[in-house]
Amino acid sequence: MIVVRHYPVLPRTTSTPLPRLRLTILPSATPRRFCSSHTADDKDRSKKDITMYLQETHDKVFENNKSWAAEQVAKDPDFFKKLAAGQNPEYLWIGCSDSRIPAEQITGLQPGDAFVHRNIANLVCNTDLNVMSVIEYAVKHLQVKHIVVCGHYGCGGVKAAMTPKDLGLMNPWLRNIRDVYRLHEKELDAIADEEARYERLVELNVYEQCRNVVKTAALQQSYAENGFPIIHGWVFNFRDGMLKDLNVDFKTILKDIQKIYNLTN
Amino acid sequence: MSADNTFHYALSSNNAWAGYKAHQNPQFFPKLAGGQSPEILWIGCSDSRCPETTILGMQPGDVFVHRNIANIISPTDINTTAVIEYAVANLKVKHVVLCGHSACGGAAAALSDVRVGGVLDTWLLPLKTVRFNHAEELEAITDEKERIMRIAQLNVEAGIKVLMNNATIREAIAERGLEVHGVFFDISCGRIKELGCGTAHAGKGDHVVRGKHGQLVFGQDGEAAIAAAQ
Repeated sequence: MIVVRHYPVLPRTTSTPLPRLRLTILPSATPRRFCSSHTADDKDRSKKDITMYLQETHDKVFENNKSWAAEQVAKDPDFFKKLAAGQNPEYLWIGCSDSRIPAEQITGLQPGDAFVHRNIANLVCNTDLNVMSVIEYAVKHLQVKHIVVCGHYGCGGVKAAMTPKDLGLMNPWLRNIRDVYRLHEKELDAIADEEARYERLVELNVYEQCRNVVKTAALQQSYAENGFPIIHGWVFNFRDGMLKDLNVDFKTILKDIQKIYNLTN
Repeated sequence: MSADNTFHYALSSNNAWAGYKAHQNPQFFPKLAGGQSPEILWIGCSDSRCPETTILGMQPGDVFVHRNIANIISPTDINTTAVIEYAVANLKVKHVVLCGHSACGGAAAALSDVRVGGVLDTWLLPLKTVRFNHAEELEAITDEKERIMRIAQLNVEAGIKVLMNNATIREAIAERGLEVHGVFFDISCGRIKELGCGTAHAGKGDHVVRGKHGQLVFGQDGEAAIAAAQ
């Protein structure tokens, strides 16, 4: 039986919202621009405003954190003692860096439940030691049972990769999404509506990244030996906050890729 | 919780969360779908005990996130670099926060002389370098937990140095006052403290900031404040 823990999971713990609106009273969003067109006095005041604003947004984080920690202790005096004893997460979450998808909050998972890697457009690249280390550690050392690759509609990274533009330092990273497009060129080109094509590319990107996880030695060896972890592809939808399970057929993918990518010795 | 239960829990839990959020504020998701303008780029550890948005008491849309093994900042790592580029140059975040934490598995591995195997040793190399650069200080610490904690803090300081030399970050600091902070999450009490490195502390000593709800002590005293709270 599934017992859903009580909600709210984590309401904002302090009553004052982030002083986001303060920015609108500033003469310009960037100090660089108004530096040139204002008097020295104005410049000084604006600088002070910005410094104060930065300090406040910064302080807020520490205040929130303090209240959050106190709240956990009030609920369970041993909360942090247990947490400090070690981690035993069931999940590895590979998601997008996008601020709107905090893995734990949207799934209701608690600290200790999910090992998390987040990068631009939730990519799993063969030569990226960063994500490869995460997968290896999660599978071999933490022995996670599930690996979730979670994308989201409206992904800025995917959008950027559909744009005919030189994006400098981001090129090598976003190239991987252009490659996903090339792999599914026929299907994507057949979609006339641009928005629909973009949404489909988001899904296909998740699907391809799941395949990339299956291609790793860590995954293949652990699955052969233990029967886990298994792979899931999800897409988060901002419009309703819901996760869509793409029902990635893990066993078929494994069988397919092992003709060429078999690393089980 | 069995493996199967956790999986179904997360999906059903998401359903409940989405319902709750929409009920609480019908504009929540439409607003979220409109775009993101986070003020914070958080670079932290993948460790399951450090869920950034949760421990910061923030909401979806507030924090842009990169999490890797042992929050290592490797100058040529294109993964981290792409995240920084997007967050600082495109989203124009106002704060970059690099966060280390106590009881870090990566820190423990770097202090050990055993090879972890696979790609992990290569990834952990910057942390190993921190170990050898501070060998004397670290060896003088007798308590193992303390030693792991200390190397994790030194790792944040080393990471901050790399971040402060990143061209995009340097430009943003000069042009629009971007702030870079090195912080540390103590899992045994759930508190985050400043490590006294980064932009706000360049060339300055400890200082106290009085916020609306209390005072915040930066630098060395932060540790004392945490001890007092325990």
